[in-house]
Amino acid sequence: MNRELHIVGFQVGRETYGVPITSLHEIVRVPEITSVPDAPDYMEGVINLRGKIVSVIDLRKRFGERSVAPSRRTRILVVEHRGRLNGLIVDSATEVLKIPAPDVEPPPIDFQDGRLNCVTGLAKYGGRLIVLLDMARLLEFSGLRQEVGTAGEAGTRAGQAEAHSAAAGK
Amino acid sequence: MTQSSDERGAELRELFFETAQELLQSLNEEALKLEKQPGDVETVRSIRRIVHTLKGDAAACGYRELSELAHELEDALALETVSPEISLAEVAFKAADTFAAMLAAARRKVKPPSSEPLRKIIRELAQNPASGKSRKRKAPAESVARVRWTEYEELVIGKAASQGKRVYHIVAVVDPHCAMPIAARQLVQNAIAAIGEVLASRPEAGSTQAAKRLDFVLASNVPAEQITAKCRIPTVITDVKVELLKRAQRTRKSAAASTPVPVEDAQPASPSASPETGVVDSPPALETTAIPGVAAAENILRVEAERIDNVLNLVGELIIGKSMLQQALNEFSRHFPKDATRGRFADAMAFQARVLNDLQRSVMKIRMVPVEQLFRRFPRMVRDVAKMCGKEVDLVVSGAETDLDKSILDAIAEPLTHLVRNAISHGIESAEERARLGKPARGTIRLDAYHHGNQVIVEISDDGQGIDVARVKAKAQQQGLLTAEEAGRLSEAAVLELVFRPGFSTAEEITEISGRGVGLDVVQSVLHRLKGTVAIDTHPGQGTTFRLKLPLTLAIIKALLFRVDQRLYAMPLNAVAEITRARESAVHQVDNYEVLQLRNQVVPLVRLGRRPEDAHHSNRKLFVLVIHAEKRKLGLIVDALEGEEELVIKALDDQTVATDLVSGASILGDGRVVLILNLAAIVERFARSRPAESGAVSSGMLLSNADRARGALPEVQP
Repeated sequence: MNRELHIVGFQVGRETYGVPITSLHEIVRVPEITSVPDAPDYMEGVINLRGKIVSVIDLRKRFGERSVAPSRRTRILVVEHRGRLNGLIVDSATEVLKIPAPDVEPPPIDFQDGRLNCVTGLAKYGGRLIVLLDMARLLEFSGLRQEVGTAGEAGTRAGQAEAHSAAAGK
Repeated sequence: MTQSSDERGAELRELFFETAQELLQSLNEEALKLEKQPGDVETVRSIRRIVHTLKGDAAACGYRELSELAHELEDALALETVSPEISLAEVAFKAADTFAAMLAAARRKVKPPSSEPLRKIIRELAQNPASGKSRKRKAPAESVARVRWTEYEELVIGKAASQGKRVYHIVAVVDPHCAMPIAARQLVQNAIAAIGEVLASRPEAGSTQAAKRLDFVLASNVPAEQITAKCRIPTVITDVKVELLKRAQRTRKSAAASTPVPVEDAQPASPSASPETGVVDSPPALETTAIPGVAAAENILRVEAERIDNVLNLVGELIIGKSMLQQALNEFSRHFPKDATRGRFADAMAFQARVLNDLQRSVMKIRMVPVEQLFRRFPRMVRDVAKMCGKEVDLVVSGAETDLDKSILDAIAEPLTHLVRNAISHGIESAEERARLGKPARGTIRLDAYHHGNQVIVEISDDGQGIDVARVKAKAQQQGLLTAEEAGRLSEAAVLELVFRPGFSTAEEITEISGRGVGLDVVQSVLHRLKGTVAIDTHPGQGTTFRLKLPLTLAIIKALLFRVDQRLYAMPLNAVAEITRARESAVHQVDNYEVLQLRNQVVPLVRLGRRPEDAHHSNRKLFVLVIHAEKRKLGLIVDALEGEEELVIKALDDQTVATDLVSGASILGDGRVVLILNLAAIVERFARSRPAESGAVSSGMLLSNADRARGALPEVQP
């Protein structure tokens, strides 16, 4: 008997991604999001989830997709990782998939670093390819502080440039 | 009694560790007292009592080695030896340290460190009775009155007497031919324990010495003859004397203990002390811990901080609920301005608000502890550090009764220790130096705490040499933290802040030259985390004061809500010194900083949001929140004010939201999330920003990176 993986599938851009159903807490519509200064660009902000404050990541930005205006189907996947709740903005969340374990292949070697290092495997499901994500990698931004720092500086420079142009423009 | 004995044991041990900490603290305090007044019998007795309690507790929890050591020490102290050769205070310090190390080891369940040095001192002490008087056990058997009971035992005896029990003193003479002289004590005790309560005995319980004579104090209601009969154990006891101790003699001592104290049955050598015996034993332990204020002890409840936090969280939710109701009521009032029920709603709301307020204050009060809990460890530390540095330092503590949130208190323990240590090792000059300067040879460190508005101020000051500003400046330049041009421009206060820079403080030579250093950045980072500030006040040759400003609590604040770029933010209301309105055209630019003339002062501005393109010509109205930061004023430009509200602070997940600009978030009555700004970080960022060649540096601090990317894009793309 083959072991089956229970996966929640969701769309981001044209691709279907999946996270283990055990890590899913709930799926909610997108409420008002409060943006946070200094946050990395894919950190959309924080939301109020019934009295809990949960930070939300825009997966489109995280995966380098072009950002689009939220639609009727846009959802926030609230996942639980190490006792903490995190929100993931996805284009739509539709299906629960049961994927036999042998149908999952390890990710290509070039996924090991960069933005795709959170991919644990590629699953074939009915002719489709589903990208399985590792919550730990996705949420625990190891070395991200560094990235935040540089991003922040870049931002400051940009802000200065902007101010400069404003000053020059008058 | 449904708990398993394992759980019970663990709980008991936890309690033991806690009380033991307190005991050690008292031990240190007594030792300090003894050092000041060597040979003070009261103090020696008090030390002995502490050690005795520790012994009993340790035995009850099965910490055999600790208990044995305490027993030895207690015995040695019992000899009433106030020997000139060995300083008892030193012994007590040594003991406190050794016990502390053993406790720490036991707590972490690792092998305890060697207690041999202490044992050696104890042995020396025991062999060196200074006075020629003999040990009390040599008292002749005939005289009943010659036995000396410890104060604790006296207390127990007095207590029993005051409860109307008959208290007997029994003297039993052991048969010199008895085959088992050691067991004799136990045999007699067993016999009399059946008819009454054994309050005290000589030799003490658990003693392995063979004694010729046994002394017991028994509270019992049976007549004396019956006791005599019980004690007369053939071939073991040859003679028994029973004497009724008069109640009147003892009652003067009976004021203290307030609960019946069970038999002290500590058997230090018994590793098998079960949790059950432990339970019986611990009440007297607690009782004696608090000897100075025994009456208060019974009303004190030990509760895990977590439980209180839970209650506080719920109160927080209630406050959110209150603002939800308030908003609903406002809406209702708008829709039905004539409805009569409106007034009743409003009344009920007002009532609820009042009760909530009280509830919140009460819960907060539970979390409040006097700062004394922290201050009391300093006398010992100051003594040790001063000794190490070869300096003479007095510690003056005031305001110890000031209340502070427990979590804040715990958090400032380390920074405070650090500052005190620094003050002694670097601030206070050597005695010779002080004499040369015409100062008293003994330096003074002051610890003070007091409430100031919604804040608690903790000050550490010394009367030492002060911080040399010029040297700090020179050193900072040398380390590249400061350019020569900046150095010339910086105010004294700004230079002093340099000592908190991480890069600055860690360098070894700085410590020697400037006198301040290692790890001051730690002090500041802790204070930032607590939403507090630290300020330095120094006068060359006269001393330095570090002033820690702390919020009363971390949980709920009164906040001012305002908008920046359409977004809602909050900041602690007590930080706002003044709110003023201005027009965009009134904002001037000086040296790349935006400033505003406020009455006769020029206030530098921080533009939290985006700077409009046409800023200088615009007639746009804006608000400026003037805040006091350290010693300067700073104005924050915001777009609109939204009023004030009580906010329940929720921590932000600092892994994903990695900014120090925001100290927390809160949920408003309508469910919106509002970020609470960390003013200290904003001020610091402003101070650290260096004017670029052009453009105002201090704008757009609250923009997210996404905003910046959006704003910057047209610039980047040609």
